[in-house]
Amino acid sequence: MKLKVGYIEIRDIMTADKAEVRDGVLYVDTKALEAIALEDEHIKSVKFDVARPGESVRITPVKDVIEPRAKVEGPGDIFPGMTTKVATVGSGTTHVLRGAAVVTVGKIVGFQEGIIDMTGVGADYTPFSATNNLVVDFTPVDGITAHEYEAAIRTAGLKIAYELGKLGKNLTPDETKEYDFPSLMEGIKKYPDLPRVGYVLMLQSQGLLHDTYVYGVDMKQSLTTMLSPTEIMDGAIVSGNCVSACDKNTTYHHQNNPVIEDLFSEHGKTLNFSAMIITNENVYLADKMRSSDWSAKLVDYLDLEGVIISQEGFGNPDTDLIMNCKKIEETGTHTVIITDEYAGRDGTSQSLADADAKADALVTAGNANQVVTLPKLDRVIGTLDYTEKIAGGFAGSLESDGSITVEIQAITGATNELGFSRLSAR
Amino acid sequence: MVKEIERAGIPVVHVCTVTPISMTVGANRIVPAVAIPHPLGNPSLGAAEEKQLRRKIVQTALDALATKVDGQTIFEVK
Repeated sequence: MKLKVGYIEIRDIMTADKAEVRDGVLYVDTKALEAIALEDEHIKSVKFDVARPGESVRITPVKDVIEPRAKVEGPGDIFPGMTTKVATVGSGTTHVLRGAAVVTVGKIVGFQEGIIDMTGVGADYTPFSATNNLVVDFTPVDGITAHEYEAAIRTAGLKIAYELGKLGKNLTPDETKEYDFPSLMEGIKKYPDLPRVGYVLMLQSQGLLHDTYVYGVDMKQSLTTMLSPTEIMDGAIVSGNCVSACDKNTTYHHQNNPVIEDLFSEHGKTLNFSAMIITNENVYLADKMRSSDWSAKLVDYLDLEGVIISQEGFGNPDTDLIMNCKKIEETGTHTVIITDEYAGRDGTSQSLADADAKADALVTAGNANQVVTLPKLDRVIGTLDYTEKIAGGFAGSLESDGSITVEIQAITGATNELGFSRLSAR
Repeated sequence: MVKEIERAGIPVVHVCTVTPISMTVGANRIVPAVAIPHPLGNPSLGAAEEKQLRRKIVQTALDALATKVDGQTIFEVK
């Protein structure tokens, strides 16, 4: 499967009567976007705001971040099975408004949404301090359940991003990249001497608002399966997650998965990127056993020599991670796992809930329990009402001077397990 | 908690869903639970069936408590 991705650089977002992209500025018609959001009867009102890199702005509680993209040529459309018809995506041409993001805000669970700071210390911990964000704050109608609220925000966010993405359809991209994912046999014929490497992407699927959708399918109802990494670039995987902000994959993370990016950049040079496997993280032990069995079966059948496994979330998914790792290693295939740590505030506690001697190659995305004090910022988009309840927050988090002391767990994308973050070690 | 209570000389049964984690942390008597969000029940069952299931889990745990073990042991709920 071949996909050409054209990037149109966006350096600012402004509201205007006419929606368009001109000279690197994304002009948005918030009236038209509001009408799209209000198509859902669960949404009472919606408020738009723009947050730019460097501005003294704090956005919270953040639900999802979505990149505007448009299908220019080829089958299917962005977010297939969710807000567009089911059809296989991942080939042809796609345009991206790079530097722009839709950030959805709403107090769905209250304690499981995140913080994005556009300046100060907090900005260093989230990649979304570097994007121009159209922030959409949703108020639901009275009396709806958290599940209905989540579904309404998820869908409206995707539709708004889709609408913005269309503005880049007929533009000439500033940069174009080509991603060629050949069939298994083609790849082996082309690169007979390169090691066959696969990627197992674990998707959060615990239910109770911790869900991920693939072509519209709730991933907890699926067995481990395969697709082309280019399909993911076209929005085949969408986040429906309200879970700790630091290590959940937002839709933006899926659209820009750095593991896929790096595997492509090494493809045909040092390795043969041979397979993309997706699996789930369910709450029944039998599901964990079955899904990890299936990951190992696919790896064995495909005769891969090396596999990268990335986790999403923490806690019981550590067991899914270790099961995937152990069972794949037992097929004779080397693994490297990517995870993050909950090692306590001083970093001395056990990092993962589960472990195995076979997990001997690990990349960490950082310690989510690390404490940071975020300065008061001039403007808050959303509300600070949940600061002390947010995962990573605690009683006393919100100081009287407006500063916030939290574990970095509370910051959107801080310890992202795809490696889409800025933390490093000396 | 399991380990600290046992250290004080009182035997413990760890009823939990993800038994591999229980094995990793070193529990000696382990009883598998239903699911992470509802370890000791199953909301998809009717009230009578669920009561029976809950009774079975507790009975298995009590039996485990009274059983001598030589090492880490998982007691399946029958």
